[in-house]
Amino acid sequence: MPRYGSMADVRAFMPNPPEIQTFKIEPWKLKGAQIINLLAEVNGEKSDALLPKAMHPSIPSYAMFNVTVYPDSPAGKFGIGEVRVASRAGVRPRGFVLRSFVDNEAARRELANRWGYPVAPGDVYMRTFHDRVVARVSSQGRVVLELEMLDRDYISGGDIQYLSSMHLARNKADGKLILAQIDPEWTFSRAERGRPRINTFDASAFGAGDNLVVENIISVSYTICDVTLGNIRYYCDPDKPAFQGTTQVAA
Amino acid sequence: MKFGIFYELSVPRPWDGESEKRVYDNALEQVALADELGFDSVWAVEHHFLEEYSHCSAPEIFLTACAMRTKKMRVGHGIVVCVPEFNHPIRVAERAAVLDIVSGGRLEFGTGRSATWVELGGFRANPDETKKTWDEFVRCIPKMWTQERFGYEGRAFSMPTRAVLPKPYQKPHPPMWVAVTSPGTEIDAAERGMGSLGLTFGSFKEQEDKISNYRRIIANCEPVGQFVNNQVSTVNFLFTHEDTETGNKHGRRLLGTFNFLASQLVAARETYPSKSYQSLGLLPTLRREAAGPGDDAGVPEGIAIGDPERVLRACKMWESVGVDRINFLLNANETVPQEMVLNSLRTFAKHVMPHFQDSGAQAAAAGGGGR
Repeated sequence: MPRYGSMADVRAFMPNPPEIQTFKIEPWKLKGAQIINLLAEVNGEKSDALLPKAMHPSIPSYAMFNVTVYPDSPAGKFGIGEVRVASRAGVRPRGFVLRSFVDNEAARRELANRWGYPVAPGDVYMRTFHDRVVARVSSQGRVVLELEMLDRDYISGGDIQYLSSMHLARNKADGKLILAQIDPEWTFSRAERGRPRINTFDASAFGAGDNLVVENIISVSYTICDVTLGNIRYYCDPDKPAFQGTTQVAA
Repeated sequence: MKFGIFYELSVPRPWDGESEKRVYDNALEQVALADELGFDSVWAVEHHFLEEYSHCSAPEIFLTACAMRTKKMRVGHGIVVCVPEFNHPIRVAERAAVLDIVSGGRLEFGTGRSATWVELGGFRANPDETKKTWDEFVRCIPKMWTQERFGYEGRAFSMPTRAVLPKPYQKPHPPMWVAVTSPGTEIDAAERGMGSLGLTFGSFKEQEDKISNYRRIIANCEPVGQFVNNQVSTVNFLFTHEDTETGNKHGRRLLGTFNFLASQLVAARETYPSKSYQSLGLLPTLRREAAGPGDDAGVPEGIAIGDPERVLRACKMWESVGVDRINFLLNANETVPQEMVLNSLRTFAKHVMPHFQDSGAQAAAAGGGGR
């Protein structure tokens, strides 16, 4: 049967995960988000250790490097940069979020409290030029991720497929560690792709230590879209296969 | 209606030195029995790097072994990936011709372009180009087979005039097919006079409409080869047992295992935004089928799983919407024990095949398959 994630100890990976207060979450409708999403194959023998045992590594193993700027939200403008490892929860493709950095403290608190998002304070920068889009994430004044999309080329929003994500959080109701699934809705007004480039990636800053080694960059896209962050509909026990350990949240 | 069998050759972990040999040996034993029982054809995919899901990267060699063990069954090379990074078109034409010769003219030639990033990325093929290269391949290969010498200046490849040898045993050449996974590919097949090697996707009504559209277009096609192969084939799962509960239980396990394995693979569309891959391709399509709404036994409509009566009903429904052939996947990751697979083939031949004209069963099923 397929390989499973081999993270030795999810609690050690995220000792103090954010706590989800309630699963009845008022959705955020975020207009005009700019998203740059770069995908790269990674060394699977190492990256399996970054996935909880509930999840299966994709074939081939790959990671998503994602920087998003939301020009407006209930917490004001904010940018978020994160790295996810592609995986499967049972048969469903999902990105497991390692770490995120957010440049707005109010937004960071809201993301952590509402959705249990594993967010740290940081700086997020994104600029578009005619020949490229540049995105940069910094932590404590040091660049930990810098991506570029060169030779911009228009495509259709229908060509884009983003994956829902899962992250470790604590369920306040019973104090248990869970894998919370976030499945935003995206409505695209613009989509581009281009030549991908990673200028800087500090795996340790994203909690990956030596286990996220980029081997083959696949693609990069840039979109402008409206994003709805809604309720958490499913969560999993990180220690059990998703087929056995998934809980559907009552609507 | 004709019935064939179809191989992905999935190999379950943990792998040892015997794992792959066991799977190949089991498959060859099934093929030999299927030939005795009157199944019409054996098909094998071309896949690369698809861990566990398919260890069938050299189907022409597996099919040669099949041909050597069978007398009547046709051998379906399905599909050959028509992307130059995977296969040079000259080599495709040569290998297919040899297979046709050694099988005594039993080759069915299926074409396609791959739908997974695992494979496309592994060969560093450009996903934007695969539809175009497929089109070029299928126009050129029949000419390589039928013209004494062939030369070409093209987009995906070029060659000075040469005799591409040997020529196929079947004249003018083997029937040509295309794998229909993305919406609209059935139109590509029809316009080129090629058989539609499709899936059991969508409702019966939807499938009926697609087949009707295919028949309408192929009636006025411009064939890439020297004749029109007006045939519609589908892929299905097969597990049948005279005991209903046993049939359902093992059949559902087969579906679930296939579904699980297929979902671990990265589709081209998941990672590479391209107009060339608007759908996720074969794997999720089959997965949806396998996970679709089930009947009381939890088996999705149209899937050939269960007791012979239920399997007969499913096949009759496909026949009623205009399908000419069904190719059956018999196992996934060896989840069904070999003896049960063989028994399922015998049960199908005994109880289901005789209900179809031209299924090959009339002569073979009554006495064949004794083992």
